Amino acid sequence: MAKKLGKKARKFARKHLQSAAKRNRKQRSQFARRPRRGGSGRGNERSGDGDEEMPQRANDIVMNNGDAAALVNGLEFPEDESELNSDLSDSDGYLSEDSECLYYSDSEDGNAVNDCFVQDGLDGENDKMNMEIKKQKKKLNKLMDKDPEFANYLEKWQSELKSYGSKEDSDEDEMDSVDNTADSSDENPSNDKILTRKTISEWCQLVAKEPKASSLRSLLNAYRDACRFGVSKSPSVQRIQSTEVFYQIITFVLSEADNIFRAHLEISDDVNKGKIMNLRSAKKWQTIEPLVKSYLQNSLDLLSQLTDNQILACVLTRLRASAVLFSAYPSTSRRLLKILIRLWASGDHNLSLSSFLMIREVASLLPECLDLCLNKSYNTYLASSKLVNEGNIKHIGFLTDCLVELYSLDVQKSCERATTSIGQLNAILRQACKTKEKEDLRKVDSWQYINCANLWVRFLCCNYKDYNMHPLLSSVVQIIRGVAHLFPGTRYLPLRLRLVQMLNELSSCSQMFFPIPSLLFDCLEFRDTSQKEQGQKAKVNFSSLLKVPKNLLKSRDFHEECILLAIDVLSAHFAQWCYHVSFPEVATIPLILLKRLHEQTTIESLRRHIKRLIDQVDENKNIVERKRDGVSFSPNDTTSVQSFVQDLQAEKSSGKISQFYKNVPKKLRDWL
Amino acid sequence: MGKSSSRKKKDKVILPPQLPPEADDDEVVVSDEDVEFFRGNEGHARALARLDRKSIDSYVTRVAHHDEDEVERLYEERERRRKAAEALRPKKDGDDDDIEVDRVDALPVKTLQGDLVYNNAKKARYDDSSNAVGSKSEDKVADTKQTIQKGERKDKSKSKKGDGKLQNVQAQTEAPNGKLQSKVLEEVKEELSAEELFEKKKAQLAEIGMSMLEDPESHIRSLNDMLNICNDKDQKVVKLGLMSLLAVFRDIIPSYRIRQLTEKELTVEVSKDVKKMRYYEYTLLRSYKAYLQKLISLEKQPNFCALAVRCMCTLLDTAPHFNFRENEGKHRGEATIEAVRLIADHVKLNDCQLHPDSIEVFLSLRFDEDLGKDDREEDKGKPKKNKRRQNQEVPKQLPVSDNKKAKQELISKAREEVDAELRSVSFTLDPKERRRIQKETLSALFETYFRILKHSVSISNFRGKVIVFPDGSHPLLAPCLEGLGKFSHLIDLDFMGELIACLKKLSGYTDHHSGILHDNTLSVSERLQCCIVAFKVWRSNLEALNVDLQDFFVQLFNLILEYRPDRDRGEVLADALKTLLWEGKQQDMIRAAAFIKRLATFALSFGSAEAMAALITLKHLLQKNSKCRNMLENDSGGGSLSCLVAKYDPEAKDPYLSGALASVLWELSLLQKHYDSSVSSMASNILSMANLNPTQNPVPISNANPLEAYRDLSMEQELSKPANTLLPLNCRKKRRGKEFVALSPAALEGLDCVAGGDELKEKLQNHFAVLRGILENERLRAELNHTMSSINLYKEYKKQKKIRKSKADKKKVSRA
Repeated sequence: MAKKLGKKARKFARKHLQSAAKRNRKQRSQFARRPRRGGSGRGNERSGDGDEEMPQRANDIVMNNGDAAALVNGLEFPEDESELNSDLSDSDGYLSEDSECLYYSDSEDGNAVNDCFVQDGLDGENDKMNMEIKKQKKKLNKLMDKDPEFANYLEKWQSELKSYGSKEDSDEDEMDSVDNTADSSDENPSNDKILTRKTISEWCQLVAKEPKASSLRSLLNAYRDACRFGVSKSPSVQRIQSTEVFYQIITFVLSEADNIFRAHLEISDDVNKGKIMNLRSAKKWQTIEPLVKSYLQNSLDLLSQLTDNQILACVLTRLRASAVLFSAYPSTSRRLLKILIRLWASGDHNLSLSSFLMIREVASLLPECLDLCLNKSYNTYLASSKLVNEGNIKHIGFLTDCLVELYSLDVQKSCERATTSIGQLNAILRQACKTKEKEDLRKVDSWQYINCANLWVRFLCCNYKDYNMHPLLSSVVQIIRGVAHLFPGTRYLPLRLRLVQMLNELSSCSQMFFPIPSLLFDCLEFRDTSQKEQGQKAKVNFSSLLKVPKNLLKSRDFHEECILLAIDVLSAHFAQWCYHVSFPEVATIPLILLKRLHEQTTIESLRRHIKRLIDQVDENKNIVERKRDGVSFSPNDTTSVQSFVQDLQAEKSSGKISQFYKNVPKKLRDWL
Repeated sequence: MGKSSSRKKKDKVILPPQLPPEADDDEVVVSDEDVEFFRGNEGHARALARLDRKSIDSYVTRVAHHDEDEVERLYEERERRRKAAEALRPKKDGDDDDIEVDRVDALPVKTLQGDLVYNNAKKARYDDSSNAVGSKSEDKVADTKQTIQKGERKDKSKSKKGDGKLQNVQAQTEAPNGKLQSKVLEEVKEELSAEELFEKKKAQLAEIGMSMLEDPESHIRSLNDMLNICNDKDQKVVKLGLMSLLAVFRDIIPSYRIRQLTEKELTVEVSKDVKKMRYYEYTLLRSYKAYLQKLISLEKQPNFCALAVRCMCTLLDTAPHFNFRENEGKHRGEATIEAVRLIADHVKLNDCQLHPDSIEVFLSLRFDEDLGKDDREEDKGKPKKNKRRQNQEVPKQLPVSDNKKAKQELISKAREEVDAELRSVSFTLDPKERRRIQKETLSALFETYFRILKHSVSISNFRGKVIVFPDGSHPLLAPCLEGLGKFSHLIDLDFMGELIACLKKLSGYTDHHSGILHDNTLSVSERLQCCIVAFKVWRSNLEALNVDLQDFFVQLFNLILEYRPDRDRGEVLADALKTLLWEGKQQDMIRAAAFIKRLATFALSFGSAEAMAALITLKHLLQKNSKCRNMLENDSGGGSLSCLVAKYDPEAKDPYLSGALASVLWELSLLQKHYDSSVSSMASNILSMANLNPTQNPVPISNANPLEAYRDLSMEQELSKPANTLLPLNCRKKRRGKEFVALSPAALEGLDCVAGGDELKEKLQNHFAVLRGILENERLRAELNHTMSSINLYKEYKKQKKIRKSKADKKKVSRA
């Protein structure tokens, strides 16, 4: 699907390149850039399908952002969009250069040689167009020759057009106009000199030797132009013509800038925000500040320009070193965060990871950005967890973990948010329970809802031990139980198993007892009603299901999966309490059901699994029973009960069940 | 007689003995008519003798052999032949008596499918007459006939072998003739006009109705027109009229009652407006009365009964305050008894397969408390037999019983009305009479209940052998049990033994649980209900009864393990715990211990509401049976009390054999860790009993009985409670260090993905190249566009030049 779409899009883009380019520019200027299908498609042509899928998804997310409010069930946190007020946008980061900076011309005509291997696909078309222009020009000349009066007429028209065009240009969009004015203002003579490889390598050497060299300015200017290549129409951008030069500039600046700035400022690696703030009054800061600003801003431009995940990840990794520098520019940091969060939610794991690390870095270095960071990332998470399929299930799991990381940075702050969000979940649930209307029920029976609940479960699991979060825990538990209650029946078994897994997690983090079996009866009493094998071997993939489609309801596959997963979550429950003095009683009722199930199941592989669990539980039960026959304390002796658990844990023979749990095929737990 | 014999003969030869047996009744009716017809048209009947026997034979036998293609072919052939013959003949008037009809064509005109085929034939004929074209329309007729026959053939092939009686019918249908056709034509005409009329009247009704709704005051007189329409001959029109009137009345009936004007009032001079109003009210009232009368009269006709009753009920529903409500009839409880009897019959007729609502109304019956006791005793209570409003819609799944149900509806409605009336007039009934009526009602009621019980028992007996009903359910059992529970104090002692036996049977049906639950066994809830009812009956009769209820305990003991949340009703379980265990007096120690242990285990595997109900019961049992408190303590290898079974068996079926006394309630120590604070505190509370001496009880933490506790904690309840606003937590301010909490190190691997220099280089260069390409393309495109437009401009330029030239020319001309 994605591939198909990609092809189409590419075709479309080729046809309408001009308009596409324009549109892209516009989008970029709004920082809601969607990966350009035209450009990125081509860029990715050599890479596999996996890459193809990613921008598509990112696309979806961006597109959905618009009407997110309607789709997100009102779960979103409000964001104030009144950012981007300027501390940077008023200047474009152009640095005045010292005239002593030398420009070299390339002795060898390397351009043609270097560029021939980077065919840009448009060459053919461009060539054709060139031909066409020549033809048309000829025609025009003929006409002019024929009628010299027409030449005058044409000239008049052209001048008219120019004046009109310039007027329109200035209206076009603000970003461009800023560029234009800025560009027109920096009438630096060096601007129109073409940057050659030699020039750049010369500059690089100079800067590498002596960080304070004046060529740093020129280099950063070149970096600016490189970053804005294709966006800005200013003539200075035209200075870069060879791919080699482009590459040189970008890589050198990205890899060295941080070191150079640190050398200038004489700061070490583990500097924090306060130090930067202190520095701001220092003289060395005053001199270097424009350079830093230019570098950071242009790097952001580059980030919003690039489409290739790998390059993006790389740029982010390099940029992360300079994260602390952003603290001097709050609005730039905000812009950075927006870009980062968008990239974080995109499908590529590496990119996601490096974006997340950067986000975390920024969030922990700049406390004032934390709010934005938490809100924005939460909303993005909700938007991207709307649809779950086999392809993105892992990614969503990763996003959840990332979010938990971010929310664990400042638990106090996060708890407020968690409270709000859980309150919203609760309200939705109550509404659904009250009206029982399809519309309301669907809000609960949605990935967004479940993923959101799962997020808070994970958050609780990570922080329960260190903080007092009991009220939060009980309301999450209420939500989980409420959802399970609201959707009974076999069809919702995947959802239910998910909920049970959440309870298991909560149970293990809080050391509280949850009657897990009460939610698993449906699974354990699930009888295969239809013995006959369905013709189509439809594979049930629980990981991406909440509700089982009707046609699969009676399939053997579904049946099998259900019981296996039930065994899995049940054994997790057993494993948690296997050392407890009351384990035999915990196991009593589930054992009865398991034995019954074992008798009735006709599927051999299932029988084996069930049998193994029964044996393990039985064995564990016997161990505990034997052990407690020998003790003399009573059930109300809490300390003795506790030490019983510890004693048993120390014994080698016991706890088989937890090993069993660990040995249950991992794949079963992957999705939960 | 000869003809009849010949007919019979023909029967044997011709008729395929295939008739749908289920169409039996209809066929008989048709046959009578046909016989009459036959007698009235003896002359035509004689034509039978002249029938083209061969062709008929061949046709019918073919039919019998289901050789459809062959038959079709035959028909086509016949058609051709007939057309040819007709072409030779002069055109005939359609009404001609002596018209010759090919008998085979006429054959299917009126056959076993009676009406349908007949109608089609008529329509076909109608085409014929209206077109008044001979042969062409004949073709059409033939066509339709053919299609009819096809349908008939299908029917025949579907049908099974019929009997001789039905064959007669078939024979009758073979007597078509010209007269029949003419008759048919007349009917067609009639029907046509009727149809037109119907349409016309429908339109008229709609028009009047609309205008009435728009402005009732000025169109009030139209009500009469509508009423007139209701006197129409056509039933459909009448029905429509009634419905329209209903809609109108529903809309315009005022929210007050219109009072008859006294003569004095009438004489007083009033303003124009008032006059108009009075006229309006008067007309409305009169029409309404007429309408009601119409409805009442129509109610007796079977065709209109359902509609009339529905209309009345709707009226009562929307305008119970309005005049003439008493028109529906007064009663003094007679209606109640009638209704109960009707329901009883209804249940009987339908073999207990009805919607539960149909007997749920019983629950709203009220009897005098002392009814069952002493006949002498004079009762003083107010006559109250009113049912509260019930679901008026008794299910319509069985058309046969519609009438009765409708009547029930009506009656229950009416009773409500009448009761209000009674109260307002403080009309009292003769106590004896009332008593008699109540007794009769009661007996009818219990008759129904027992019937349902017995029926359930008998079905359950079949269990495993035949699945009697596909869903295997006992739809009436639940309300029946509920009713028995409610009226348990009124049950005659004579029935008691039988009733208890019945319940015992019902509650224990999966006694020999073979591992496979049959679909048609009673559900856990139903069985629990049986236990509850048995105990209620027993208790409400002062426990004087010498009945052994031990079995019910055993049932409950096992049912506790069979209970499933979501599937079974938790409230019933809680109620059973309450009725059997919580309300009970001193229990047998061994039994109590078994229940205590089982309930504790149960609490570990079920939700907090169930767990709470169980724990409350458990606590109660421990309080009542102080010896069982030993289970709270771990004395040298289990309970100190010796009992029959030394080892505890958690899966025991019999509470006496479970050996629970020897067990220790370890569960409670785990329940103390229960996430639900009410459960955990209850568990601690129970555990604290261990330290008290047997006469002491722990500080009570809740006075609720198991049922209340269940309801209080059930999910519905929990979710309907207002959300407790979560206060923002007060966490100790603590920022985490750099360590990761959620992400595993594995996930962080592959992080520094500095791609190989070359790859990165390539990608970056690619990126640039694409951008450059785009720029270049843009530039070129602009240039191209520019050039193109320049060329296009040439045309413009030429045009302008021309104009200028021509202008100049004109000027020149003018100057010249």
